[in-house]
Amino acid sequence: MRKPPSLVYGVDERPPRSVTVLSGFQHAALISVNLIYPVIIFRVAGVSPASVAALLSIGFLVLGIATFLQANSRAGSGYMCPATFTATYLAPSILAAKAGGLPLVLGMTAFAGLVEGLVAPALHRLRAFVPVELSGLVILLIGFTAGLVAVRTMLGDMGHPPDADEWLAACIALAATVLLNIWGRGLARMVCALIGMAVGYVFAALTGVLTAEDFAAIAGASWLAFPALHIPSWSFDFGLAAAFAIAALAAAMKALGTLTVCQRTNDADWVRPDQARNFRGVVADSAGTILSAGLGGVGINTSTPSVGLASATGVASRTIAYATGAIFLGLALTPKIAAVLAVMPRPVMAATLLFSACFIVINGLQVVTSRLLDSRRTLVIGMGLLAGAAVEAVPAIAAGATEGTRAVLGSSLVFGTVVAFLLNLAFRLGVRQRVTLAIDPAAYDPAQVEGFLRKQGGMWGARADVVNRAIFGASQLVEAAIEHGQAEGGLELEASFDEFNLEIRLRYRGAALAFPLARPTIAQIQEDDGARQLAGFLLRRNADRIRAEQNGAQAMVWFHFDH
Amino acid sequence: MAMEITQADQGGIPALSVSGRIDSTTAGSLQERLSELVRAGSRGLIVDLKQVAYVSSAGFRALLIAAQLGESSRCTLVLCGIAGEVRRMFEMGAFDQVFTILATREECAAHLAGTTAA
Repeated sequence: MRKPPSLVYGVDERPPRSVTVLSGFQHAALISVNLIYPVIIFRVAGVSPASVAALLSIGFLVLGIATFLQANSRAGSGYMCPATFTATYLAPSILAAKAGGLPLVLGMTAFAGLVEGLVAPALHRLRAFVPVELSGLVILLIGFTAGLVAVRTMLGDMGHPPDADEWLAACIALAATVLLNIWGRGLARMVCALIGMAVGYVFAALTGVLTAEDFAAIAGASWLAFPALHIPSWSFDFGLAAAFAIAALAAAMKALGTLTVCQRTNDADWVRPDQARNFRGVVADSAGTILSAGLGGVGINTSTPSVGLASATGVASRTIAYATGAIFLGLALTPKIAAVLAVMPRPVMAATLLFSACFIVINGLQVVTSRLLDSRRTLVIGMGLLAGAAVEAVPAIAAGATEGTRAVLGSSLVFGTVVAFLLNLAFRLGVRQRVTLAIDPAAYDPAQVEGFLRKQGGMWGARADVVNRAIFGASQLVEAAIEHGQAEGGLELEASFDEFNLEIRLRYRGAALAFPLARPTIAQIQEDDGARQLAGFLLRRNADRIRAEQNGAQAMVWFHFDH
Repeated sequence: MAMEITQADQGGIPALSVSGRIDSTTAGSLQERLSELVRAGSRGLIVDLKQVAYVSSAGFRALLIAAQLGESSRCTLVLCGIAGEVRRMFEMGAFDQVFTILATREECAAHLAGTTAA
């Protein structure tokens, strides 16, 4: 593993104490915004403010332990990848909270943690059935439902309709967050949501949105105490299993993506994900969720913003993860902070959640559009999205569901994902994974090669950037074979795809091309043979792997692109 | 998509706007056009590749030969409008370190005005 020049402290390095402490607090502040998720779920479950505070202290404890677990190279991935509460489990947890209170939330969360751990070894293979654009749809639906929870929180889903002060508090908290996010710099920008929450709290305190009862709850909390650990009761509902299983799969995929970012951040020569470390990382993530459910908390996941911050600051040492974990453990011993969070005014919750939901939605859209989408895939994503939206917009769909169909029709996340998954399976029929194009050198039209690969890329749902590389490679190869390989008769271009690999083969009668390792000099390029040498060099640089064979008069060139 | 070349004047400097593909079938005519302008005695030459979708080895060779010819005739070749896939192709062949590449024609004209004044 070679450290990239942009990285100041790699995963195995030890930064000075001052950097460790400051970075630890920065990560803890960034992650603390997500405490909004357990607060919302506990409120919907009807948990009293005092109990919410106690559960949040336990939540800090869980985040601390899970962060330690992930940073350990034997138990977890060994990377600086702290744990956080997540929007992924928000919608299913709210369904569980409404249906069966806290015991059902905890039981279903434990189930989700178990599912995440079970799918961990098979995640790599699942890509064929859950392609990237479908993962993007799941993220999109998570953001969509989180945004709706924000709106419903504000509009009185959890009590009386908002008054003028509450509307103003929400607008001020949202405005502060957005202003810092767009025009802020450095640390202020990174923790803009936390500052926005603080501004909302201050306004709520000044206008009476935070009541005397809330202040009494904060005043009554001690500064230092061990969290009150107890074995909570769990319950299980088969009707919610699909919702939690899909959320668990989304959490596992997100953990996989975050851990891959960690690897890329730390290794300048990174080529492909380290499956063993990813497996340990996803298992550690699932263990964190099971631990959380066991102690009375909600689902957790790896913190993508935190990993992004590590990459941006160049401080990706696992020592920082240990510092962040220690800060969480310290917060678990400070009930006063948990009490402040437990009385979070709903305008603050709504504003923060709305802000976060916007980014989750766009993140999902970006993942969806990173793939070429033909008509089939457009329908898969479009139908899935509209199916999810229909459940939220037409309550009669869920209300009219039978006992057997409620598991699917009762949740926008589940219904949208199931519709897209089934359509994806159906549309896979008839899509050939290996296709060929016959090329007549006498009537060669470059648009033919580009159109062929772009159309196939859309049918396969291949990544747009990889297809662009394949188009350049195939076009340059055919051109060079005709010009310099003296291809006689027809050429056969073959493309094959299997979700992990995109391969191109060109067969023709003529001389095989050479692929020099170094670029020919400027003087060499200007010679008669220059374009051929340069073509060979560009083709080598363009593909991840390349091979040429000469078998009698027959030549074959093979390109491989990692996908 | 065939290649098309249109010529305009950018602050007294000839500016060629190229569109389409620069490959083995079109590189020859681009090289010829560039050479004509160099031989006509221009002190600088702007080549705008904003509308270009693909440059093959033959295209890079044509641009290099024109740049070398310009150098021997004290005519500086400056490229602009290189983005997306075409930029990737330039970077892949390390041609971004061989040619002077600027963002816009205006920047190219200002650069050439400074070069010729010096």
